[in-house]
Amino acid sequence: MRLAVYLPLLLALPLTLAARPMAARGRPGPAAWTLSAVALLAAACSTWSLVVLALTLLDDVPPLSALDNHPAIELPEPVPGPVALVAAVLLLGAAVRVFRAVRLRITTFRDLRAVGAPDEAMVVADWSEPMAVAVPGTIRRRGRLLVTTGILKLLDADERRVVLAHERAHLERGHHRLTAATAVAAALNPLLIPVRDAVGYLVERWADEDAAAEVGDRRLTAQAVARASLAATTRPGTVLGIGGGVAVQRVRALLDPPPTGSRRRLIAPVALGVVLLAVVTVITVEFVALAQAWI
Amino acid sequence: MTTKDGRRAPGTLEASVMAVLWAAGRPMSATEVQQEVGGELAYNTVQTILIRLHEKKTVERRRAGRGHVYWPVEDESTAAASQMRAALANRPDRHAVLQRFAASLDESDADLLRQLLGVAERKRGA
Repeated sequence: MRLAVYLPLLLALPLTLAARPMAARGRPGPAAWTLSAVALLAAACSTWSLVVLALTLLDDVPPLSALDNHPAIELPEPVPGPVALVAAVLLLGAAVRVFRAVRLRITTFRDLRAVGAPDEAMVVADWSEPMAVAVPGTIRRRGRLLVTTGILKLLDADERRVVLAHERAHLERGHHRLTAATAVAAALNPLLIPVRDAVGYLVERWADEDAAAEVGDRRLTAQAVARASLAATTRPGTVLGIGGGVAVQRVRALLDPPPTGSRRRLIAPVALGVVLLAVVTVITVEFVALAQAWI
Repeated sequence: MTTKDGRRAPGTLEASVMAVLWAAGRPMSATEVQQEVGGELAYNTVQTILIRLHEKKTVERRRAGRGHVYWPVEDESTAAASQMRAALANRPDRHAVLQRFAASLDESDADLLRQLLGVAERKRGA
């Protein structure tokens, strides 16, 4: 308990370090899934660690001490009081961040779903800003594409097919689930923010590859990404997916031959997930034993 | 490609046709639309889609020669634009949760991208 309980808080770091190299090459799909799953697991484990640490505060609560049947016996005190207090504060912070992240996603998609007629698969907005956005559906409604006249007029007929194929790939593959999972993970544990950004980049790469396969032309796809991104340069204050150079990396990857799947690079994150599960099991067993000692 | 097309969700073809009409910015005949959409759609398919879109009042049309020319109804798209602007303009936090096609870049990225674009266009042209 003494050491193990702190481990999940640190085990997010190797995943964070692995995220960028994993995003940089290979097939984007398996990497996106693996990173999302392990990030969510790492976030759940570090949160559980904080919960366990914070719960040790309870042994100082007066009513519990009064209930103590054996006041003479020295109770185990595995976690120093201040550490438990810090854990409680961190938990509170995590709760606020998750609430904000979830609310931001819900309100953004709700407002975009309200744009245009409800049943259209694609809504065209007469706006010069070149934008194409995939708006995920709900249980009752299909997802849809939201495109501006700005992007339609900017691109030629072939490039427009790329854009539509790219956005449809986001919807058909449910990429918003992966980005939602990693957004929650990063809100729970800010050490995972680079993993969230890597997954955001990977789903764009994934949709690029799908679009390239559908139109049957990687260079055309690269050209469409480059031209659309160049036209969108002027927007100030936009948050980047993975630091500077998302568009450059996407275009470069498309100008390279199609990525081949080397599953070996997935071994490390999966192994990390197994270690996390083992550590959490140990913590939980020890915590249950401790709780029984109190009661 | 054809098998892929066969599995496409309804509305995909309509979307392609609408994209062509909006990009053109002028009334187009069914033949013109078919040429722009690309070889994958038959003339009759394009014609059927245009008629369906007209029935849904998404496009308007008038007689021209033996057929019709079509153009998109602007009111809906103007309304859509103001809704979209209200939802997204000056909201970088909201942009960050979206899957957007155009990625943003800084100036050095833009220069690099122009070079890559040159490479892409040359190789495609060759």
